Amino acid sequence: MKPVALVGAGVTKFGVRKATYRDLIWEAGKACFDSVPALKPRDLDGLVVGSVMPERTAFQSHVASLAAEALGIRPSTLSARTEHMCASGTVGIRYAYAFIAAGLADLVMVLGVETLNQPSGDEAILNMGTGVDREWEAAFGLTAPPCFALAAQRHMAEYGTTEEQLALVGVKNHNHAAKNPNAHFNKGATVDQVLGSRMISTPLRLFMCSPITDGAAAIILAGEERARELTDAPVWIRGTGQALDGFQLTSLDEDYARWPALARAAQSAYRMAGIGARDVDLAEVHDCFSIAELIAYEELGFCAKGEAGAFVAAGRSDYGGDVVVNPRGGLIGCGHPLGATGVAQAAEVYAQLRGEAGARQVPDAAIGLTHNNSGMGEHVVMIYGR
Amino acid sequence: MTYFRAVDPYPLESADHNKLAEFYRRLAEGRLSTTRCAGCGRTSWPPRGFCPECVSDGVEWVDLPSEGTVHAFTVQDAGLPAGFASPRVFAIVKVGGHRVFSVLLDADPARVSVGQRVRLRPLRVDDEPKGAPRWLPAFTPADDGARA
Repeated sequence: MKPVALVGAGVTKFGVRKATYRDLIWEAGKACFDSVPALKPRDLDGLVVGSVMPERTAFQSHVASLAAEALGIRPSTLSARTEHMCASGTVGIRYAYAFIAAGLADLVMVLGVETLNQPSGDEAILNMGTGVDREWEAAFGLTAPPCFALAAQRHMAEYGTTEEQLALVGVKNHNHAAKNPNAHFNKGATVDQVLGSRMISTPLRLFMCSPITDGAAAIILAGEERARELTDAPVWIRGTGQALDGFQLTSLDEDYARWPALARAAQSAYRMAGIGARDVDLAEVHDCFSIAELIAYEELGFCAKGEAGAFVAAGRSDYGGDVVVNPRGGLIGCGHPLGATGVAQAAEVYAQLRGEAGARQVPDAAIGLTHNNSGMGEHVVMIYGR
Repeated sequence: MTYFRAVDPYPLESADHNKLAEFYRRLAEGRLSTTRCAGCGRTSWPPRGFCPECVSDGVEWVDLPSEGTVHAFTVQDAGLPAGFASPRVFAIVKVGGHRVFSVLLDADPARVSVGQRVRLRPLRVDDEPKGAPRWLPAFTPADDGARA
């Protein structure tokens, strides 16, 4: 396996965007190429596009080729689209990583893009039901919030986790997002605001949930020699892991507050990187709902099972604590344009490990972790190092 | 208006479209059923056309109990997809050793609890485009007295 590094990254403004699917591809591609002035689109030999539902939101398939043409990339080694619901972006990064590590490609862009907002907000939510089982779940009106609400109910009943602790994740991530000009939300939040926001699915309130967001992000991965030519500060992929417990809710562990697949994905990535949880300086975790971030602390090994509520309340997942979780603002603060999220997480780690994160900079950041999931039973973990 | 699959939230259930049509035929009679593998005898939920244990595609239909208990639940107040009213009580129901995902109909959201007894109450939804009736396996509190 050949070493592989990130050598460039760019992210669009996330939000309710006045832009087409192609507009966002242009924006993310331009921002990414601007970060590597020595490169032109024609220099790349591959492109992977992570995107979940352009068939619903832009009435468009065949999007990897659309993006290649829009960006002036002429793939000669790898051209593919990844669809794996909310983890599509990181799944795409793993494809590009594997191709380069195997010597089958050398310089590959991974671009994630989604335009979820529609003229009808009802349709935007209806579309989200495509991510759960149509016949046995979505037919009842299920989308993501009730799934994660089941986990929150269980975590509260089993470990005494409180609504205030759930709210603190929302507070932290909204406040981090206030320092990120590309985030969907920039106003920050207080505990009272989060606990006073409307109930979505008991016990999860609006400010504990990620919104419906448009956005795109792009990174460029390179083999070792090319990476060293392009930058003095490449960010290396040190480890990766993916694991799946199941697709339908009724296939997962009976205890919805336990996500064994995340622990397995994390262990694979830690083993490959030769590090442990305590070595991680910053983590971009998949806080689609506040409960997901709490369970991620536990399954990633930042704290013991059941202690996540106390962990966030003590500030151990914020600046000055054990590990800074979601310095970018997470999915709650930045929004969650499905396919773009995993790529935007990687872009944040790229900036942090190069010391270029400005007001969000984690001091002396050397090891960064990303966690992207598709539902509660499917998880992907990446570890990056300087 | 012409039928568009893309905005129909329900499965096509009839035998014209679905090899598990027997499930829905029994459901219309008020029976909750699933498949048992003819090869290894393993019963699955939901029903399936292929056994991942022994790789048989032989299927026998078996009825499950029509009563179960609430294993987990949540009440969704906002953000439901188009066509679904709030509040909506989503529940994982334990039935005959299986976990079944469903909704609780005519349940007071404030009175739902883990361990509560519920019973099957098939829910009639929009017909298929060619007129065949469609049903979903919903539940209702067992002590409620109301029965469709």
